[in-house]
Amino acid sequence: MVSKSEKYTEKKARRSLSEEKRHSIAGYLFVSPFFILFAIFGLFPMLFSFYLAFFKWNGLGEMTYNGINNFTIIFNDPIFWKSIYNTVIIGLLGTVPQLIVAFLLAYALNSQVLRFKNTFRVAIFMPYVTSIVAVAILFSIIFNNQSFGLVNSFLGIFGVEPIVFTQSEWGAKIAIAAMIFWRWVGYNTIIYLAGMQSISNDLYEAAKIDGATLTQQLRYITLPMLKPFVLFTVFMGTIGSLQIFTEPLIFFGGNLREEGITVVAYLYRDAFENNFFGTASAVAIVLFAIIMVFSVINLLVTNRLGRGKARKA
Amino acid sequence: MKKVLKAGLVAGGVMAILAGCSSDEADSGTSGSGGGSETIDMWVFGTTGYEKLADAYMEENPDVKINVQTTEMGDHHNNLFTALSAGQGAPDIAMIEVGEIERYREAQDRFVNLYDLGAGDVQDNYLDWVWNVGGSADGEFQFGLPTDIGPTAMYYRTDVVSEAGYPTDPAELAAEVDTWDKYATFAKDIAEATGKPVVDNAELIFNAKRDQASEHYFNRDNELIVEENAEIREAYDYTVDLINADAVGNMPLWTPEWGQGMAEGSYATLLGPAWMQGVVKGNAPDASEWMITTMPEGAGNWGGSYLTISEESDKQEEAYAFIEWLVSPENQLESFKDMGLFPSTPETYAAEEFTNYSDEYFGGINTAAVFAEAAEQVNDVYKGRNYLLVQGEIMTALNNVLSSGGDPDQEWEDAMERIKQRLERE
Repeated sequence: MVSKSEKYTEKKARRSLSEEKRHSIAGYLFVSPFFILFAIFGLFPMLFSFYLAFFKWNGLGEMTYNGINNFTIIFNDPIFWKSIYNTVIIGLLGTVPQLIVAFLLAYALNSQVLRFKNTFRVAIFMPYVTSIVAVAILFSIIFNNQSFGLVNSFLGIFGVEPIVFTQSEWGAKIAIAAMIFWRWVGYNTIIYLAGMQSISNDLYEAAKIDGATLTQQLRYITLPMLKPFVLFTVFMGTIGSLQIFTEPLIFFGGNLREEGITVVAYLYRDAFENNFFGTASAVAIVLFAIIMVFSVINLLVTNRLGRGKARKA
Repeated sequence: MKKVLKAGLVAGGVMAILAGCSSDEADSGTSGSGGGSETIDMWVFGTTGYEKLADAYMEENPDVKINVQTTEMGDHHNNLFTALSAGQGAPDIAMIEVGEIERYREAQDRFVNLYDLGAGDVQDNYLDWVWNVGGSADGEFQFGLPTDIGPTAMYYRTDVVSEAGYPTDPAELAAEVDTWDKYATFAKDIAEATGKPVVDNAELIFNAKRDQASEHYFNRDNELIVEENAEIREAYDYTVDLINADAVGNMPLWTPEWGQGMAEGSYATLLGPAWMQGVVKGNAPDASEWMITTMPEGAGNWGGSYLTISEESDKQEEAYAFIEWLVSPENQLESFKDMGLFPSTPETYAAEEFTNYSDEYFGGINTAAVFAEAAEQVNDVYKGRNYLLVQGEIMTALNNVLSSGGDPDQEWEDAMERIKQRLERE
């Protein structure tokens, strides 16, 4: 016969075990909303898009298997290649100057001399809060095709003929890149600023004692210490610019022209203007591959750059 | 233990909410106001004033409740497309714009054939071409009952026209510019006398010529015929000729400069539909120089809608009774008086309100009569579901000629190439 106390401990052990299990179930239940939502709105559409890339489908009729034809069609389309070229050019035009300017702005905001810092910080961050659509509408007024458009009338002072921005190879790209620059520069400035404030003042003080000039401080302390932040902004900038969409869509007023069509705009046109969901999905897969490639290149390049700087420092 | 139970309950609650979101049960039919009343859901877009008519209908038919839901046009069609694609969630009655209707042809099985509900009896009330656009290519299936339409006419600026030595009276001007050849001469005279273009942009002049063609881009078997279609090529060449004569402006539709041009009279004519009257008045509230007359050689149509009933609706007959009443000649007259929707029922044109109509803004002339005349001249053409794709590429070609001085023949060929490339995806 088992003693009473023995029975009690046994019971307790069993109960605590199942309680642990229950705890873990509760934990999973607590985190489940994200996974459920992700599965419905994230994972399923992604997988379905992969599946669709091999079918012809207009959204309403029958889905017919099309093999790799969708890919053949888009690869044979010169406008598809044009859209990739446009995306890269607009991305470079929009992000490279933006990151440089953001860095300089952050440095200025972080300096001891500047007054009303908070006002400037808010002012610089403001464009990021504005709706993209509002920005795009505003910029399409600034980059108006007519001679009375803001940019055209400015160029007119120097005797330049009015540029038809929506139909000019570089005009369209510059206008779209300008929107991206304007909207994101504040966001990156704030990130750089946060990075700069995390750098210990001791380093600068030590450098000053050693007689380092401002440029030397910037080059040998600020830049290397900011490496993770630069890495982050370059990553986000690259992925963001590969997905440029709203700006050209609004700028062209729906009629997406060759001069400024981006990959995502091309995808959108196929899927939602003409309901060619098969080729649109194929474009999505190609875009996915391109983003992967760019991310890897980014990783390699930024790593190397960082290492070089660190050694110099 | 209690805590675990609570946690489980909360999580379970969250899941129940999620589950509730995903299954859109069709209980909307029972959510009507009074006991036993039938609720009919109706999706419309724009300013139709149909809420008022629905109220009137509900007073006469107390056992029916109509729930009119208005959404912006783009969202409206996207919502409907998604609902039809998913196979659930479509309303009992959905309004579809004439330009969008082609998109839904593939989904014929998700609409009720209105002939089955007796649409054949009211068919004669409507203009033939309007009725046919709302039907299948073979005419066996009727998607919707026509609401309003947008017959096109020639809006013109009296100040610009008189400067070029043309009469400002609508009848006299229409007599003087009654062919497209004469319109080209008119365009030259305008350019010489005033330096202004005869039209605002390449799109509307091309569309005006295109709409008078007997076939457009696709035939009724959905084969691309645009390349062989001499009438379309002629419309293209005509537009190019006007561009070369410096008679075409570069003020794209809906841009600020386009609206400003209306107020200032930067162009002589605007080849637009009936509903453009509101746009002109809005953009140029103080300019009383705008007048309306008939377009050379006929008219086209731009705009208008159809009321369809979805297959999944369980109140198809009640819904049909309502829409048949809503777009009857008498009620189209009401919509015309209320919101300026131009009727698709020729019977209405004989009504006293119509024949005695006059618009102070447009010099006190009977604008309704001008558009009524245009409505009866519109060609019955089949558009096909990739119509807008072809139209877009042709517009790109014309705009290249207009603003970058592209070679017209080369641009045309490039456009045809792009069209074929893209149609491979269908």
